[in-house]
Amino acid sequence: MVNLKTKVIIKTHFDLCTGCLICQLECSAWLFNGFNPHRSALNIKHTNENLYHFPIVCNHCENTYCAKVCPAKAISRNEATGAIVVDQEKCVGCKKEYCTVYCPINVIHIEPVSRKAYKCDLCQGAPRCVESCPTGALELVTRISFSQGENE
Amino acid sequence: MNDGYMGQFLYVDLESQTTQKLNVPGWLKQNYVGGKGFGAKLLNDLTPQGVDPLGPDNLLMFLTGPLCSTTAPAMRTCVVCKSPATNTFLDSYVGGRFGAEIKYAGYDGIIIRGISQEPVYLWIEDERVAFRSAKKIWGSDSLTANELIKQELNSEEPTIATIGQAGENKVLFSMINCEYNRQAGRGGAGAIMGSKKLKGVAIRGTNSVNVNQPKRFLAAVKQATAEISAAGDCQALTVAGTSYSVPWSSEVGLLPYKNHSSQHDPNVRKIDDTAQDKHLFLGKSACLGCPIRCSQMGAVRTGKYAPFVTDIVEYESVAMLGSNLAISNIRDIAYLTKLCDTFGMDSISTGGVIAFAFEAMEKGLIKAPEEVALEFGSTKGAEYLIRSIALQENELGKLLGQGVKKASEQLGHNTSDYAVHVKGLEIPGWGVRGAPGMGLAYATADRGACHQRGFVIGYEHGGALYQGKPVSPHGIEQKAEIVAGEQDYLAGLDTLIKCDFGSFGISAQTYIDLLNSATGQKWPVGFIDDLGGRIWNLVRLFNIREGLDRKSDTLPKRLTHQVLEDGPQKGHRIKPEDLERMLNEYYKIRNWNTEGQPTTKCIGLYGLNEDHEFKLKEQQISLEQEDTET
Repeated sequence: MVNLKTKVIIKTHFDLCTGCLICQLECSAWLFNGFNPHRSALNIKHTNENLYHFPIVCNHCENTYCAKVCPAKAISRNEATGAIVVDQEKCVGCKKEYCTVYCPINVIHIEPVSRKAYKCDLCQGAPRCVESCPTGALELVTRISFSQGENE
Repeated sequence: MNDGYMGQFLYVDLESQTTQKLNVPGWLKQNYVGGKGFGAKLLNDLTPQGVDPLGPDNLLMFLTGPLCSTTAPAMRTCVVCKSPATNTFLDSYVGGRFGAEIKYAGYDGIIIRGISQEPVYLWIEDERVAFRSAKKIWGSDSLTANELIKQELNSEEPTIATIGQAGENKVLFSMINCEYNRQAGRGGAGAIMGSKKLKGVAIRGTNSVNVNQPKRFLAAVKQATAEISAAGDCQALTVAGTSYSVPWSSEVGLLPYKNHSSQHDPNVRKIDDTAQDKHLFLGKSACLGCPIRCSQMGAVRTGKYAPFVTDIVEYESVAMLGSNLAISNIRDIAYLTKLCDTFGMDSISTGGVIAFAFEAMEKGLIKAPEEVALEFGSTKGAEYLIRSIALQENELGKLLGQGVKKASEQLGHNTSDYAVHVKGLEIPGWGVRGAPGMGLAYATADRGACHQRGFVIGYEHGGALYQGKPVSPHGIEQKAEIVAGEQDYLAGLDTLIKCDFGSFGISAQTYIDLLNSATGQKWPVGFIDDLGGRIWNLVRLFNIREGLDRKSDTLPKRLTHQVLEDGPQKGHRIKPEDLERMLNEYYKIRNWNTEGQPTTKCIGLYGLNEDHEFKLKEQQISLEQEDTET
């Protein structure tokens, strides 16, 4: 029998992304009350003289590399939103920064002052980046899985 | 206090390889806001009279405003210096991300003086500023230089402004290339970088930019974005970028053809938005924070010059490297534009210069080397001249690299009759015979012939209403008033620093709401015009200080004496007596005397008589000796 599970994630569309960084600006303002795309939770890779722009967002993995390597067990799934989140109380700001080292798409970051990790938490279910994207390059989608997740 | 500013300028002396941090005083923010305002004040106060544009004392400034780097839509960056082409104040604007990064690094602007002994580039990471050797990069084109600097810094993260060979060789219409496809194009700012032996500026910052009232700011951003979405011109820019103006300009008879000898291009369909969509466009790219995304990115996939990535061939490049040269293959025009971008030359002036050379060639005043045809319609001829100019590798390149004004002075033989420029800046891709108000705007624009200091064509042929009423396309009444009003309003917005394309949608009230909520000020909507008027007059005083007079507020003979023989504006020219009348009226409206100098009354009106002076020593926060890395 199929074990049907659903989860909300952000899907990216590089074909629609213009590299305007409005998503990153909104994200940084949400996280830190000020604008700087380098401090946002998502990335955009610009290639071929800006012919292509690739938004890179947290995958909210089934197989959570960041959570597995965290020595403080500070990273876990929020049951309400389904997002993989960092518990700021538990994060010890370890010098080795394991979570960022082992995230292959660089979407978990270290806050320069506190040295603690931060990442996309799906804005508690209504992501600012998706809301502010002028072209629909970021989309909130329901992921439907037909199989039993290996790590759940 | 959060006010959208970072509170300090980075002052770089390339001669002593030192940097200072300068305070941005409250009065400067209040009276000049940012961008063009900062530039006008700082250039006046920090350069000596008669400063050699290519000498050590000229300043090269990259300036931002309180809204740059935020979500306020369609903001740009401003490059200010004294122009080597016109000897006037130069403000040249550039989109992309470079200006935002200046603020993230913690500065409201970068002020650069001096000449480095050896080629260098700057690497700015927040507080850390490194003077790095550019010996290995010198001689490369602007895109290669970008790549080499990224490799050397081992990072794809910095945003970089570079010059190509044209800037290194001090071509007077060379430009600064900000990645990618965004250029401070007009007036020769690239030559200033070249004269300073500064190949590039790479920058990255980790600071946040904070506004005063975040909730009100967010509401103003939403309003601005809604106004952009609702504006027809902005929608057209989203769909086809500036190429949508090509068929319109042709239809109303303002598209320059064969060195402005006509304003009618019979082959316009081959180079318009439809042609570009078919042959070039693939996707869209936007400047930081801009929902308009006017940049239509694409590639030349077939033909002699394929393959290469190309941005849209902007209206100005189509007009000046296409129609004005009678070249009608859009892939060829894309190729010539790309050459200009990589060598680092303004495509508007380059098109004007090549057209001038082609005509001088027709008249037997320039000799072409045997193997190339320097004639209208020849892509090879245009490419030959672009290379000759950028690399300064032959006499012709050296002659033309100075622009049409100086080239015609050297050639003599009435070549000045068809040297199409104002104050030494080549006229852009909008013919003005049949649009006299636009002619006045060219004649009086502060940086020489410029279509962005009041686009009067919008009233004369675009159906825009002035004070609720239609404007006569060919009449000269009211035009002086319209020009002065547009100049003030746009100069006011150039402090923010608006992109023209955003201003097609965003209302004055919304700009003020953005400004007030970001800075915490309580300016009324009329502030934009007052501020613009103050700046326009301050720039005029600078230009007069540097030797500009009434005689420079004029138009070239081609536009005043040669009647158009074909096209929708057939029979039109701008009569010298009409230009005189409009100019007299314009001076009167501006409170300037008959020589075009601001009167004491005018100076008092804008408070320029009791203005603060920006002094380096007073504003100095710290002085740092930097290690030169090799």
